[in-house]
Amino acid sequence: MGQAAGLSKLLRKIRWEMDAFSWSQLIIVLASFTAFLIVPLGLVVVRSFYSSSGGFSFYWLQTILTDPFYFPLRLKLLNRFPFISLEGIRGSLYEVVKYQTAGGEETIVLLTGWDMGVIPNSLVVATFTTLFSTVLGFTLAFIFAKYRFPGSEVLRIVSLIPLLSTPFVGAIGLKKMIVADGVLNVLFYDMLHLLPFKIEITGLPAVILVQTLLFYPIVMLNSYTALISVDPTLEEQAINMGASGFRLFRTVTLPLATPGVEAGALLVFILSLEDLGTPIVFKGTTAEKVLTFQIFNRIFTPAGLISQEATTLAMILLVISGLVFVGVRRYVSLKKYAMLSKGGTWRPKRRKLSPVVTLLVYIFILGVLFFATLPHIGVTLLAFAKQWGPTLLPSSFTLDNFIAVLSDEEASRCIMNSLVYSSIATLFMVVLGVSAAYLVSRKKSLPGIGALDLLVTIPIAVPGIAVATGLFLTYLGTPLSPTISGAPLLIASYTVRKIPFTVRAVFSGLEQTDKTLDEVAWTVGASRTRTFFSIVMPMILLNVLAGGMLSFIYSMSEVSTGIVVGDANHRDAPMTWKMYDMLFHGLAGGTFQPAALGFLLMTLQFIFIVGANLLLRKRATALIGV
Amino acid sequence: MVSIRTVNLTKVFGDVVAVDHVSLEIRHGEFFTLLGPSGCGKTTFLRTIAGLEMADEGRIYFDDQDITDMPAHLRGTGMVFQNYALWPHMNVFDNIAYGLKIRKVPKEEIRRRVKEVLKLVKLEGMENRTPHQLSGGQQQRVALARALVINPRVLLFDEPLSNLDAKLRVEMRAELRRLQRELGITAIYVTHDQEEAMSISDRIAVMNRGRIMQVGTPKEIYKNPKNEFVAKFIGQGTFILGEVVTYGEELEVRLESGKVVKAVPSHPDVRLEVGDKALIMIRPESFTLEPGKGYNEFEVEVYHISFLGDSQMLQASNEVENFIIEVDPDLEINVGQKLKVYAPPKHTLAVKL
Ligand SMILES: Nc1ncnc2c1ncn2[C@@H]1O[C@H](COP(=O)(O)OP(=O)(O)O)[C@@H](O)[C@H]1O
Ligand SMILES: [Mg+2]
Repeated sequence: MGQAAGLSKLLRKIRWEMDAFSWSQLIIVLASFTAFLIVPLGLVVVRSFYSSSGGFSFYWLQTILTDPFYFPLRLKLLNRFPFISLEGIRGSLYEVVKYQTAGGEETIVLLTGWDMGVIPNSLVVATFTTLFSTVLGFTLAFIFAKYRFPGSEVLRIVSLIPLLSTPFVGAIGLKKMIVADGVLNVLFYDMLHLLPFKIEITGLPAVILVQTLLFYPIVMLNSYTALISVDPTLEEQAINMGASGFRLFRTVTLPLATPGVEAGALLVFILSLEDLGTPIVFKGTTAEKVLTFQIFNRIFTPAGLISQEATTLAMILLVISGLVFVGVRRYVSLKKYAMLSKGGTWRPKRRKLSPVVTLLVYIFILGVLFFATLPHIGVTLLAFAKQWGPTLLPSSFTLDNFIAVLSDEEASRCIMNSLVYSSIATLFMVVLGVSAAYLVSRKKSLPGIGALDLLVTIPIAVPGIAVATGLFLTYLGTPLSPTISGAPLLIASYTVRKIPFTVRAVFSGLEQTDKTLDEVAWTVGASRTRTFFSIVMPMILLNVLAGGMLSFIYSMSEVSTGIVVGDANHRDAPMTWKMYDMLFHGLAGGTFQPAALGFLLMTLQFIFIVGANLLLRKRATALIGV
Repeated sequence: MVSIRTVNLTKVFGDVVAVDHVSLEIRHGEFFTLLGPSGCGKTTFLRTIAGLEMADEGRIYFDDQDITDMPAHLRGTGMVFQNYALWPHMNVFDNIAYGLKIRKVPKEEIRRRVKEVLKLVKLEGMENRTPHQLSGGQQQRVALARALVINPRVLLFDEPLSNLDAKLRVEMRAELRRLQRELGITAIYVTHDQEEAMSISDRIAVMNRGRIMQVGTPKEIYKNPKNEFVAKFIGQGTFILGEVVTYGEELEVRLESGKVVKAVPSHPDVRLEVGDKALIMIRPESFTLEPGKGYNEFEVEVYHISFLGDSQMLQASNEVENFIIEVDPDLEINVGQKLKVYAPPKHTLAVKL
C-alpha cells in the first residue's frame, strides 16, 4: 500500500515535471550515450572475457597478468610465507654513454627509467605525474592566491599556457629540448658549461616530464579556485586564536582547499593514464610500454579485426580509471563544479612579500614558466625551421613547412575532415549538451537526475583509447563501420568524449539565471517548450557559444579515436592522425611538417579558448580547466 | 475574476511540510493576504496555486474547475515575484508584450494594450528601457504590468514590496490596492509585514509552519485572535499567563501573581473550561487611567517611555508581569513613576493555550 502510493506519487511527479519536450531532450541524450558510450564500453568489458570459441573465459586476463611484459609481479610462497616477487624488471634508472667526438670524449647520461612491465609502468607514470603536477600546481596556486606582487596576474595567466597544449605538440616541442643534441644541452652544456655531461631524458621519465608540464595547470586551477574560495574570515579567526605560519597552513588553509586539490590531482592521474599522444612521440623507447600505447599498437589483428588482447588491455585501463573516478566523482559532477566555480565570491586577502622573497618567487615562477613554455616555443621554432642541428636555434627559418603541409593533398584533406567532423560533432554536442544541462539544472528534484549528471561528465575520465576500442567492437561491420566511412564514428566519438565542455559552460550559465525567470514565463502563458526557446536560450546564448567553441577545439585535437580510425581508413582520417603519420611514416621534413600542423592547431586552439573565455568574462573562471 | 478554493492543500519538501493541509476560500474580487513569519510556507502556497509546484495532497479549484494538475501556463494567473524576475534580455515593452504575443494578439492591439497598462502603472514612455536601467520601484511596476496585461484570472503577489524603501512601500501599497479594486481581479497577496497586511487586505489568513492559524478581516484578527500565535504575531499587547477559575456567564482568570481578572474569550469560537491555562491579552490602547465599573486594575511602575507623536507607549511592570500601555501624548509622566491602570473586561481577552 505504502509502496504503491509512493510509486503513484513518483509517477505523478514525473508527469508533472516532464512534458513531451523534456522527454525528447532526455531520450536523445540517453540514446546517444547508450549507443556511443555505454554499449561500446560494455562490449570492451564483455569481450575481454570471451574465449576464442566465444564462451566466457579468463584466458586473456590470465595471459596478460602472467606475462612479465605486462605484469611482472608474482605472488610466491617462500616457506609457506606469501611474498611478492618482481620478475622481468628490465633496464636501469640511467645509463652512461661515452663516445668520441672531434673535440674529445663526450659523456651522455641517459635517463631512461626502469621498465617494470606495461601495467605497473602506466601506474608509476601516472603516480609520478600526479605527484609532480600536484606539488607544482599547488605551489603556484598558493603563491598566486595568497600573495600580491607586481605582475602576479599576468604570470598567473601565463602559467596556464600548457592548457592550450594540443596533442603531440607538447611532446614534439619538448623532445627537441631534452634529447642529447637538444636545446637544453646546447644551452647548459655547450654554451654555459653548467653541466659536466650531457643529459638526455627519454622513455618513461620523458613521458612523466612532458605530462607534468602539460597537466600541472589542472591542479593549479582547481587549487587556486579552492584557495580563493576559502572564507578569509576563517583564516583570520585562526590567526586571532594564535595560529600562524605553517600551523595556520596545515590546520586551516590546507584542509579547506583539499577537495579542490584532490579533484585536480585525481583528474591528472586519469589524464596521465589515458594519454596516448606523449608515448607515441617517444615511440621506440620504453615510453611504448604503457597501456594506451600497447592497446593502440595491437588493436587490429592482421585480419583487420579488433584483437582480444587489446580489448582486454582496454578493459584493464577502463577498470583502473573507473576506480580512480569513483574518487573524483564527488568533485566533477556538474553541481560540484558549479560550486567550485562560484568560488571567488570572497575578496581574497593577499599579502605583500618582502623584496627578497619576491625575488625568490620570481625565480621560481619564471623557472617553471620557462620549462612550461618550452614545448610551445620548441614546436613554434620547429614549425618555422628550415634546418635545426645541434644548435640553440634553427640555423634558418622558412615558411616552407606550412606550404608543404597545406599543399600536401592528404594533409589538407585531413584538415578539412577534422573541421567538418568537429563542426558536425559540435552541433550534436550543443543540442545534447544544452538538453542535458537544462535537465540537470532545472529538474533537480527528479530521481535519476544525478545519474544523468554523472553520465554527461564522466567522459572526462574515460580513456579515449577504450572508447575507440569499444566503438570499433560495436560498429565494425555495421553500416557505421569506419571502413565504409570514418565520419560516423569520429563524430560520435568527438560528441561523447568532448561534450563535458559544452555541458559545463551551459550548466554554469543556467545556474546563473534564476529559475523564476522561466517560471514567470509559464505564468503568463508560455509553454515550457516555448519558454525554453524564447526565454532560456537567449539568456544562456553566450555560454552555449563558448561551450560549443571549447568542444569544437577539443574535438579538433582528439587523438585516440582519430588515429585508430585514421589507420583503418586513411581517406577519412582527421588531422591528428596526419600528424602522427607524418611523425613516423613521413618522408622529407622530419618533425618540421608535423610541427607546422601542430602549430596551426595550437594557434586555432589559442584563438578559440581565449575567445570562449572572453565571451564569458569572469563568468566562469575554471572553464578551460579539464 | 474567479473564486479560489483549496482543500487540504499540502506540499512537502523532504521532511519539511511547507504547506500543511491548507483549506481556504478566496472570494471573487477579494484582496486576500497570506501573512506569516519568514519560512512559514507562504511562497510555497502561492507557487502551488500558480502551478509552479506540484501539490502533494489536496485540491485547488478556480471557481468549480479543478486545476490541481493543470500546467502553470494554462492557469491564467498573473504572478509578481519577490525579485520581480524581469527578463534581462528584453526591454520593458517586450517584457510586457511577451504574454500577449503568446496569445497571438495582433501587433496593433499589443502596442495599444502595453501602452494602456504602462499608463496604469505610471510608466508611460519607458517602453525602450532595459530592466537594469530601472529603479527597484520601476522594475516592480513593470513586473506588475506584465502580470496585468494578460487579464489574469487571479493576481498572485509574493512580497512584491519587500525590496523597496519604506516610503515607496507605503505608496505602492495604496497603488496596488487601487489597481486591484479598479480591475476587479481576485488577488492573493503574501507578506510577512503585518502592518502591510492590515492596511491592504479584505481578509487575512495568518499562517505558521505551513498551517493556517486564523482567517478573518484585519479587524477580526486584531481584535479577536483565535490563538496565542495570532495574538502575539499581530500588533502589540500585554500578555499574562493565568488559569481559568470561573467559566459561564462570566469568565475569570487567576494570574500567576494570584490576582483574579474578569475577561472574555478572545474569539467567539474559543471554548474554555475551568482549570484551563489561558493567556490574558490586553492591547495597549485598551488600558485607561480612569477606573470603570468592573474594570481590572493593575498597579505598575513605568520603566520606559516611547513618545510617538500621537500617543505615548509606556513599558511598565509590577515585578511579575510586563505591560505595554498607550496613553495620551499630553500626559506628564516620568520613568519610575507608579501608576494604576485599568482594563475593561470586554477588552481583557482570554486566549486559549
Ligand atoms: N524548493 C525547496 N526545496 C526544499 N525546501 C523548500 C523549498 N522551497 C521552500 N522550502 C522550505 O519550505 C518552507 C517554506 O518556505 P517558503 O514557502 O519559501 O516560506 P515563506 O515564503 O513563508 O518564507 C521553508 O522551510 C523552506 O526552507
Ligand atoms: Mg517567501
